[in-house]
Amino acid sequence: MLRFTIRRTLLVIPVLFGLLLLTFCMMHMVPADPAAALAGENASLERIEEIRQLYGFDQSMPMQFWRYLLQVVNGDFGLSLYSHRSIGGDILLRLPATLELTLTALLFGTVGGLSLGTLAAVWHNSWFDHLIRLFTVGGLAIASFWFAIMLQIVFAMNLDWLPLRGRLPTGMTPPATVTGFFLIDSLLAGDLATFAAAMRQIVLPAMTLSLGSLATITRFTRSSILETLQKDFVTYELAAGIPKRRVIFPYALRNSLVSPITQVGLLFGGLISSAVVVEAIFDWPGLGSYLVDAILTSDYMAILAVTLVVGTVYAFVNIVVDLVHSVVDPRVAEEL
Amino acid sequence: MKRHVFPGLKIAALFACLLPLQAPAATPKTDLVWGSNLPRALDPHVVYDVPMQFFMLNTYDTLYRYEGNPPRIQPWLAESHTVSADGLTWTFKLKDGVVFHDGRKLTAADVAYSFRRVLTLKLGPASAFSAYLKPEGVTAPDARTVKFVLSVPYAPFLAAVPLIAIVNQAEVKTHESDGDWGSKWLASNEAGSGAYTFDIKTYRPQEIIDLYRFPKHFMGWKDNPNPVEVVRAHTVKETSTRVLALLRGDIDATDSYLPTDQVERLKKAKDVTVAEDESMRTLLIRMNNSRPPFDNLHFRKCLSQAFNYDGFIKVILKGYAVRNPGPIPRNLWGAPADLAGYSFDLKKAKAECDLAKAEGAPIGRKLDIYIMSEFDQSTQTAQVLQADARKIGLDINIVPSTWANLTTMMGKPETTPDMWVHWVSTYFVDPENWIGQMYDSHFHGSWKASSWYTNPKVDSLLAEARRETDQGKRKALYEEASRLVVADAADIWIYNTIQLRGLTNRIKGYRFSPVGSGGEIRWISIQK
Repeated sequence: MLRFTIRRTLLVIPVLFGLLLLTFCMMHMVPADPAAALAGENASLERIEEIRQLYGFDQSMPMQFWRYLLQVVNGDFGLSLYSHRSIGGDILLRLPATLELTLTALLFGTVGGLSLGTLAAVWHNSWFDHLIRLFTVGGLAIASFWFAIMLQIVFAMNLDWLPLRGRLPTGMTPPATVTGFFLIDSLLAGDLATFAAAMRQIVLPAMTLSLGSLATITRFTRSSILETLQKDFVTYELAAGIPKRRVIFPYALRNSLVSPITQVGLLFGGLISSAVVVEAIFDWPGLGSYLVDAILTSDYMAILAVTLVVGTVYAFVNIVVDLVHSVVDPRVAEEL
Repeated sequence: MKRHVFPGLKIAALFACLLPLQAPAATPKTDLVWGSNLPRALDPHVVYDVPMQFFMLNTYDTLYRYEGNPPRIQPWLAESHTVSADGLTWTFKLKDGVVFHDGRKLTAADVAYSFRRVLTLKLGPASAFSAYLKPEGVTAPDARTVKFVLSVPYAPFLAAVPLIAIVNQAEVKTHESDGDWGSKWLASNEAGSGAYTFDIKTYRPQEIIDLYRFPKHFMGWKDNPNPVEVVRAHTVKETSTRVLALLRGDIDATDSYLPTDQVERLKKAKDVTVAEDESMRTLLIRMNNSRPPFDNLHFRKCLSQAFNYDGFIKVILKGYAVRNPGPIPRNLWGAPADLAGYSFDLKKAKAECDLAKAEGAPIGRKLDIYIMSEFDQSTQTAQVLQADARKIGLDINIVPSTWANLTTMMGKPETTPDMWVHWVSTYFVDPENWIGQMYDSHFHGSWKASSWYTNPKVDSLLAEARRETDQGKRKALYEEASRLVVADAADIWIYNTIQLRGLTNRIKGYRFSPVGSGGEIRWISIQK
């Protein structure tokens, strides 16, 4: 398994290189000139050309890419063209917010999906099963921005149970940074009030973000368990007098987990891209809004840096998913 | 036998237990929560846009400042100024007793350093000065005198002076590295003397800026005996969230560009109000005058009469805009009071198109209109033109784009689109900001001059207006230039903006000015 982990980790390098190259080429296909936007309102053509030379935009594409690559290898994402702030610093501030939201949504989706899918399979063709099937179709069809606004209206405006926006209530001091995850850092600091506040803030955005993954995992779990329940070993165990609940929970469920777990890895990428919309609606200060601003202003360095960071996270999440496979199914471990 | 409790139920129970916990009320009721967009970074000499105006007006001071609506330029850090007969030398006398937030006295050396910094960095507001002012042209002969020697006479200079925030030279210099004029440090810090100080401890870029009242501000606080002590500025990106947050009392103020459909909703709600102020922000459709068929005057007149101005303003915008028939905002001097402009008349439009066709203009080809897809009104403007132009046989294709892409395309006539929709905001209050930079062929290649309009008579009038220091004479020159540009139907001028900002009723003393859009907090108090 160690060899597998090392091999997969090394394979991430060419994948990230390809991703960076692709993003770089795509950005240069768009006819945006950051020098023109950077020069300001009334800049002359001479001034725009001066800025182009200053930032190296006048050099050939391979040369620009090579220079950027050298910089990244040295651990420097550079300064934002527009704010002159360190891109690495801004990403470090925002990445934990996105990961905290995405992972919480994934937790909601996985736990909820496995639970609902299992119950739907156990009570196959019952009213509950029909309801779950309806819910999963709806969950996949509903647009996240609409669902987000509905949650805001119901839970924040009408019932006043949960906050409308933000990562912490206005004026509340964030916990001392250890991981950057407010939920974890507040617990580490023993600050339960901040933990409770952070928990209340994350519920609505995480529920919105998890809807699609909840529906997907529910469907995969249900069909996977139904398929497992048809297998001979289940018939044998039932014939041996083992209660149905015990057959399902330790045995059938474990045999059915490979497919939903694969989905978890794949869904993670989708969650990060969906987070762009959810972060905007709930004013969640993550990478999504940073990336949108960078795209709208053609801040190349910032776009490349975010792509690289998200790509890296996605690649490693999928390695973890493969390792979890081997834990759930020892046959997979033998193949690694 | 061990009982299996389904894991999902355990976690659901945990969440259920935690949800009822009420978070403590973190914001005292005396704090003002400002819910608009925040600047990308804090250096006012690098970033220059509408969100930066909020930060700059509150934490920095300028030599002169615009106040009121219509905006009047008034001495701020400066006590007075003089200008030489040749219009080249401008001398400003500073007020005494101004201190920065760190307690250091503000002197002429700080003013000279600030202007030199802008002119050397050549970013943000620099382009308003770089054509006629060099860094060595700014000197401080004594502690209270700043002298500017321009390379050419430039009458709008005074109008542009409020663009430059005065920074604390000593503080910025201690943070300079590799000749960056401290720009890396100032991107996340503040070195001003303004009415509010900035709290670095709670700052989160584009998320939170907390400001605290500066009791030693040189203007004193007699004009507002009950000022806001703490301002908590938060980025609220989505309009729907902004409106809900205002209705819920989470924020006290939205941005000033509320969509008109939300205005009606807010007006019906109690505890909130909508401030409606006519600004100086014009919307227009640019036409590439250098490309057939737009190089034909009859064709441009055809399109100018094919746009349903009244329908757009009264129905789509619900009357929250004012018809502006020419290039200068109608509430600014230099805009001819009797200028009628064009009105919607498809019969006249068709007749003009027929004349253009008879002269060989290729009006049958597909015409592109580019929009900034992030702004709904940009799309709506193009759709209104597209729908009516179709009735007289014109085929208009709407192309979505972004600001960064569009400004790049304007560099050459062959890459400039047939038409595009945009606004011209108030960066400095002078006709030069509109007609001067939009229709003088000297500016070709910049996005502002993207009509590629050329008229030697207009060029000459605008150049003279730039040299002339007598405002009465300048007004006449701009009025004449406006009439010529409108007669040539260079573009389709649509409206002047009414800015709409949602406010809670506890806010008192809100003052709007087109420069800064009412974001200057020192006039505001909170009703307890």
